[in-house]
Amino acid sequence: MTNKKTISLVFGIMCFALTVGICIQAKTVKKSSLVVSQNYEENNLRAEVLKYKERYDNLLKETERIENELQLEIEKATSNNSELEEAKNQINDGNKIIGLTEVSGSGVVIRVEDSDIDLVHDIDILKIVNELKNAGAEAISINEQRIILTTPIICGGNIITINGEKIGSPFEIKAIGLPETLANLSRPGGVLNNLEDERKIKVSIKKSNDITIPKYSGVLNFKYLSSTN
Amino acid sequence: MIIFSMIIACILGVIVGLNAPIISYTYSSYLAIAIIAALDTVFGGIASVINKKFDMKIFISGFFGNGILAILLTVLGEKLNIDIYLAAIVVFVGRMFLNLGIIRRYYVEKWTENLKNKTNKN
Repeated sequence: MTNKKTISLVFGIMCFALTVGICIQAKTVKKSSLVVSQNYEENNLRAEVLKYKERYDNLLKETERIENELQLEIEKATSNNSELEEAKNQINDGNKIIGLTEVSGSGVVIRVEDSDIDLVHDIDILKIVNELKNAGAEAISINEQRIILTTPIICGGNIITINGEKIGSPFEIKAIGLPETLANLSRPGGVLNNLEDERKIKVSIKKSNDITIPKYSGVLNFKYLSSTN
Repeated sequence: MIIFSMIIACILGVIVGLNAPIISYTYSSYLAIAIIAALDTVFGGIASVINKKFDMKIFISGFFGNGILAILLTVLGEKLNIDIYLAAIVVFVGRMFLNLGIIRRYYVEKWTENLKNKTNKN
């Protein structure tokens, strides 16, 4: 009898492990391949892409960690030296302006979403960004992509490419600035108003006192630029 | 009793598995082959219980040994750019059908015997 008990216990544990494994595997596969494909070549390609994406994410995490380390080292090196302290503050100010640090402040959040009859195009986003800049926005991000000096906003089929990242509807455009001025984008005859009235695109704009805009995640690389003096 | 505990364990496993975090895609092929190996071992275990040849040590060592060997073969296959795991799947699934045959025969024989006994009583 005890023998039978142990057997059923062991079988139970194994079935438990087995079903847990199957469920995890099924979930992983389901998440990784939204489009089912039986093509061997395609499967291989997809596996390759997923592997590269994973590696990319890991590298991104690694850079973030190293940047934090650098920040700590800078803190440590400048803690006892007033001259270096000033230089550090200058660097921090510069980084804040060119988009290399996370910033927060008051401003507006604009949501633009594809409607049933029309899509949001790159030119619409560009117009909105332009208007925001005209209204005095100090930092802008679109779906967590910071708009910096060199940011292109390009059409890529049914998505938009910003900073080389593919971004799809709904677009959440965050801007830091004086909320009252920025909110004027929704004035009659303005860009947002036109989108809403003429093309029935879903637009919403709301003021907020606590907006966080992420830093630019790429690398700034100026090769052809030099000062003239 | 064995079947009962297995069903309960399967239900528990599904509940835990659905709430467990997913693993990275790189390792999912290894998990898949380990699952096939474990499935084979469980079927083998049931068949050996039916044959009254069940040995706990063999069963547990088979469970881990088969799984680890299958994973190692998959890793090797990836390094050599040849799908060795297909061979492992063929062996495991083949054995699964074999064991399923033994289990099926046992229960069908039992069933027909019961039927015969009943008709004899009548």
